[in-house]
Amino acid sequence: MNQLTREHIRDLMGQVMKVQGKTLPDDDVSDLRAIGFRSLDFSELALRVEDEIGAELNFDAPGLRQIATVGDVLDFIELLQRQ
Amino acid sequence: MTPPIGAQPAGDANRIVVSGRELIWRTLPDLALPSPAAVVVESGIDALAAVRRHALDGTELLVVAATRLDESLTADLRANGFTILKTGVETLPPTSPRAAEPGRLWLLTSGSTGRPKRIGHTLASLTTVRGLQERRTWLCPYSAGTYAWWQVVTLSLTQPGQDLVVVEPAELDTWPAIAAAHGVTAASGTPTFWRQTLYRDAELLVKVPLEQITLGGEPVDQAILDQLKEIFPSARISWIYASSELGASIVVHDGRAGFPTAWLDRAAPDRPTISVDGDELVITSPYHGVGLDGPVRTGDRVEIVDDRVIIVGRLDSDEINVGGSKVSAGAVRNVLLAHPGVAWARVSSRRSPLVGRMVVAEVVLTPEARGDEIDETALVRWCAPRLPDYGIPRLIRFLEQIPAKETLKSDV
Repeated sequence: MNQLTREHIRDLMGQVMKVQGKTLPDDDVSDLRAIGFRSLDFSELALRVEDEIGAELNFDAPGLRQIATVGDVLDFIELLQRQ
Repeated sequence: MTPPIGAQPAGDANRIVVSGRELIWRTLPDLALPSPAAVVVESGIDALAAVRRHALDGTELLVVAATRLDESLTADLRANGFTILKTGVETLPPTSPRAAEPGRLWLLTSGSTGRPKRIGHTLASLTTVRGLQERRTWLCPYSAGTYAWWQVVTLSLTQPGQDLVVVEPAELDTWPAIAAAHGVTAASGTPTFWRQTLYRDAELLVKVPLEQITLGGEPVDQAILDQLKEIFPSARISWIYASSELGASIVVHDGRAGFPTAWLDRAAPDRPTISVDGDELVITSPYHGVGLDGPVRTGDRVEIVDDRVIIVGRLDSDEINVGGSKVSAGAVRNVLLAHPGVAWARVSSRRSPLVGRMVVAEVVLTPEARGDEIDETALVRWCAPRLPDYGIPRLIRFLEQIPAKETLKSDV
């Protein structure tokens, strides 16, 4: 499976937010609720990642409860790619 | 009224333009047919000759385009008593011969499994236009043997003053030139057919002197009705809900998408009764195929918006469940199509582990909009105030051309 770099995932996350008229902060610690990144946005990001790597990501939904910051999203997608 | 079998069809003197030839019904080649016959046609002229033969002697007949016939369908038809007639190529006898059923016509429809299903009709049940009509020259762009094709063909065969210009599949891209050259005043096509024409050849289209424009075969949205009205302000623009199983059941002439709610559950002799059960369209039609009398669940999904009943798509594919919230793909498509820069749109869903399904779309922009920087962001912003957040397409792919199949539909 073709893996994306953390920077590439961040670019895709930025695209998701830009389409919604929002901006992704440069730091990894920003709170997702504060920047308006919701579960639908997360799902969209996953689809965009899947399109880039040409494979479906294997999700473990309960793990999402721990995702609160931008960095958590990037960590989680990186983790999914490695599985 | 449909003439009895054996009588000269009332439209026998109507002009026909087909396969590059101009003739009249009466001068079509005399096609000798076994009965029952499945006539496999490469050209419109063979198809029309077969129809006239049926009108004259009641030959049990099925007309099918050569592109639609595969080995499995061939074997199935032969096993059901049909002689397969590939005009000028070969004749395959039935593997289980049987007596013919005089006056029977068969249509093939795509069954729920994708395997073609035969629906029995007669010339009378396929002839839904009966009153005296204004003189017109009709365009027939449909694939031979389909319900829509039969509608246009029976109109010309059974009504004086209804000429016919048949567009062969290879001529579809250039139909406005053919229509303008032969003075076509009435044309029937799917919304995809009209969108493709507007997208590809609007300049030539305006030269066709259209007085009657008919849409059907797919959900008809307000945007395409408005675009056609703008180009042909004095034409009557109608949309028809019809199927091989039920015949033409809903005909709307007021230029608006959907039909009035007042039409629901209104019983009248010799007219279809239209109902809604849950969100499914249910129709009882006098024009139904064999064995389909009584109320028939159409499998089409409707939404009632103000005083109109809008047909949005197929029940099994229209509803998208996004994290427990349901949205109609047809309703999303209509929002996209209402954008002035969008020529065509298809809305579907993709599996998403977090929310079940996500709404996604494919779009073709109008040629005029291509320099306007209409991108995904612009279309999402267009949708945002018009749809719930879960209904906004999350991935929008831009295509170069409007995809369409031989049925003139694009599986929207």
